[in-house]
Amino acid sequence: MSNDGHVIDSLRSLISSSTRTSYVEARYQARLTTEVNFVNGELERIRIVENAGCGIRVLVDGCWGFSSTNNMSLLKESLSHAISAAHVLAQTKKNKVKGLAESKMATGTFYTSSDCNLSDIDIEQKVQVAREGEKAARSNRAVKAASCGYRETLDYKAIVSSDGADVEIFDSKPEFSVTAIAKRGSQSATAHEGIGVTGGWNDLFKKSHLEYALAASERAARLLDAKHVSGGKSTIILDPAMVGLLSHEAIGHTVEADFVLSGSVVKDKIGEQVANELVTLVDSGRSEIANNAGGTIIVDDEGVAAGRTAIIEKGILKSFLHNRESAMVFGIESTGNARAFQYDDEPLIRMRNTFIEPGTDKLEDMIKETKHGYVVKGARNGQADANGEFMFGAEEVHLIQNGEVKELMKGASISGNAFEVLRSVDLVGDEFQYDIGTGYCGKYQPAKVDGGGPYIRCTAVIGGLQ
Amino acid sequence: MQDLLRYAIREAEALGASDAEACAAASSECEVFIENNDVKQAKSQTTSSVGIRVLLGGSTGFYSVNSLTRSKIKDAVSMAIKIARVSPKDKHNALPCKSKASLLQGIYDKKAASFDASDAARLAAEMLGIANSYDKRVSVDSGNFNADVLTHALANSNGIDLSERASIFSWSIMGMAIENSDISSFDFQLGGSHFVNDIDVRAASTEFARTVINSLGPRRIESFEGEMLLTPAAANEMMIEVISHSINSDAVQKKSSHFAGKIGKQVASDLLTVDDDATNVEGLGASSFDREGVPHRRNIVIEKGVLKKFLYNTYTARKDGVRSTGNASGSTSSPPSVSTTNFVVRPGGSSLDTLISEVKKGIIISRFSGNVNPVNGDFSGVVKGGRLVKNGTILHAVKEVMVAGNVFEALRRLNGLSKERKIIYDSILPYMRFDGISFTAG
Repeated sequence: MSNDGHVIDSLRSLISSSTRTSYVEARYQARLTTEVNFVNGELERIRIVENAGCGIRVLVDGCWGFSSTNNMSLLKESLSHAISAAHVLAQTKKNKVKGLAESKMATGTFYTSSDCNLSDIDIEQKVQVAREGEKAARSNRAVKAASCGYRETLDYKAIVSSDGADVEIFDSKPEFSVTAIAKRGSQSATAHEGIGVTGGWNDLFKKSHLEYALAASERAARLLDAKHVSGGKSTIILDPAMVGLLSHEAIGHTVEADFVLSGSVVKDKIGEQVANELVTLVDSGRSEIANNAGGTIIVDDEGVAAGRTAIIEKGILKSFLHNRESAMVFGIESTGNARAFQYDDEPLIRMRNTFIEPGTDKLEDMIKETKHGYVVKGARNGQADANGEFMFGAEEVHLIQNGEVKELMKGASISGNAFEVLRSVDLVGDEFQYDIGTGYCGKYQPAKVDGGGPYIRCTAVIGGLQ
Repeated sequence: MQDLLRYAIREAEALGASDAEACAAASSECEVFIENNDVKQAKSQTTSSVGIRVLLGGSTGFYSVNSLTRSKIKDAVSMAIKIARVSPKDKHNALPCKSKASLLQGIYDKKAASFDASDAARLAAEMLGIANSYDKRVSVDSGNFNADVLTHALANSNGIDLSERASIFSWSIMGMAIENSDISSFDFQLGGSHFVNDIDVRAASTEFARTVINSLGPRRIESFEGEMLLTPAAANEMMIEVISHSINSDAVQKKSSHFAGKIGKQVASDLLTVDDDATNVEGLGASSFDREGVPHRRNIVIEKGVLKKFLYNTYTARKDGVRSTGNASGSTSSPPSVSTTNFVVRPGGSSLDTLISEVKKGIIISRFSGNVNPVNGDFSGVVKGGRLVKNGTILHAVKEVMVAGNVFEALRRLNGLSKERKIIYDSILPYMRFDGISFTAG
């Protein structure tokens, strides 16, 4: 990974040379992505991608300008492009940026803690886990198709701003995923397993790659014979991945301050009860409660220390998610949610690790106390709307009758209004897990995020085919 | 740029590669973002990158770097060789041979060279102004105006040596309407063109504003079976991914295409004709050659409901013993995959108004939010910006209506296509009407 000591020095001298700006930030990022994918016994794709350069953002007369370059000898030219860009908005921008909130600007060098650096693992070994994982996913005879992929991103970033940010960050995010598709006649069933972490090789493979593959293989085969759920409003126990997806997709997006400012459903609800008091919902740049969460960032892309933000605390809506500009509008500090995907992307308000905190209930008691309902596992794709309405896919559903888990049923969709669902929460499990770390969130740019929680019991509509 | 690519190929051959390909892209873009009913930021930048693919005794290696300097390209070549050495062999790996190619006219506008961020700012502001003045209840959450001049070049060890320039202007607008506590569904509209004179932000902006205002005051309805009229945007979300997946040779070979073995068979209503056509310069996916340098052409995929062909790149074509259809796709940062170029549905004979007037009972869907399974075609989700139509008249917006069914069954029940079409980036689609669709009250 490139760590040319000159990089941060050249950013520092660029920032100190800038006189025509009220704010300037230079963010160098060198990213190395490695990806290996096997499908049905064949190599589908192998690639390494190097992407490095510097993004420069300026505030001039209350208008933002951005430019970037992959040539570090052209920083000054890039700065003047950013300034010219800001100038073109002078005529058209109605509400000029009043300023940026005072926030905890980070200084120093930060490293992701890694058990076994990814750069010390040979490419051969990365090919091997993907190849063996794909093969093991086909180990059950009912499985007719499988895929398995390994992907890692290694980042070096240097961020210097005229407001005091001066950081270097070394980050490492590997992920491993496997899919098994079982088929018989016209019936088919799909099972996914995977993990995405912030950390090293041994943090990713605490469980062996074969364990994930065999679990997917076995579950796909079992789902083949499963029956469909009969739809309707029901008592539902969501697994940590579903809780993560709900927290991120259906609640998290509605509290992103840029979205709040244009009229989100939660606009005037700070201080109001929006969920059951058992619910504390958090977005954090740190890996709270459990280690190696996939969306961990130590410092955000404005150079603000990225800490913990309680969005909902004991059922009360407490905070939105901010960058420095929106925090200024709300008269608070930035929550450290400004994130850019690559050097040539500008920072936007994005989530990090979004989760519900654990409670005190044991999963077995939660099941025992359910007369009729479903345990819903394995978050798939989801959508949510401006008004909190959501619909998510789940891969597996387990029927509960009279306090006992009965049969495994086919995947289904869960829908409802996110805030109504959170108000219906009546039991919150005591075990916590991050489990959507193989996911990316899309909002003009991708972002690596994670989410999770304990098992929670709530009421929602279940049904539909997957 | 082409000198560098030829240099990369010589280097790869010197290191023992049997075949090599180098693909480069350079872009000069300016963009203005809209956020919360105001312009937010202007951006102006250039980027460049190269992707090197090498073959070594049947194994393939790929390395990409965002720099067009000789030293970086030299390193990239030797890394690609290193990767090929640890990759399994596959006898179908090969690069295409040189064939006669002519460059497409109509995708580059000379005026693009002088189009700058101030032009983008003016158009973004115009787009906002149109939406906000349409009705004061309209709230624009976000949007953008982007102008991009792209140059891409490709060379391989079989003598392919091509380069092309395109200008692309694209714009989008997204948001909702707000009236007291009534917040409408989101709507999202976009537009694009290759020429400065064809830029028309008014159409997207007006359509967006009209859609969100029309979806205020939604009412619950009873479940029913009836007709579904999809806007081009909703058709894109519900139908197009499934069709694109099913006609992709890669999906066919991986046994995940519903269309496998159905060439020559009726797979849709005879109203439906689909072209994959990179030579249609109205679509923003237009270009002269594909990601491997194979010339683009029009591929008639479905004609009057009959499946005609699958789309191939060189690798999947070799597996099936056929020729590439010019559908190698992907950027410089990936080895080629297979995908559609411009997805074009030929227009029908009726106007949109006529299509609506013929509906006995049905719902017009502006957007579809839900899950679509590209393998078996099942879809289920929530109707967004939906409006109830009875006896040819639009009555009111609907809320919490679920729609579920199967794309392949629906294609056979397609009973109307509009004359009017919209360009959604690289899709050119009419309004599409289907009967026998189940709507469920939430």
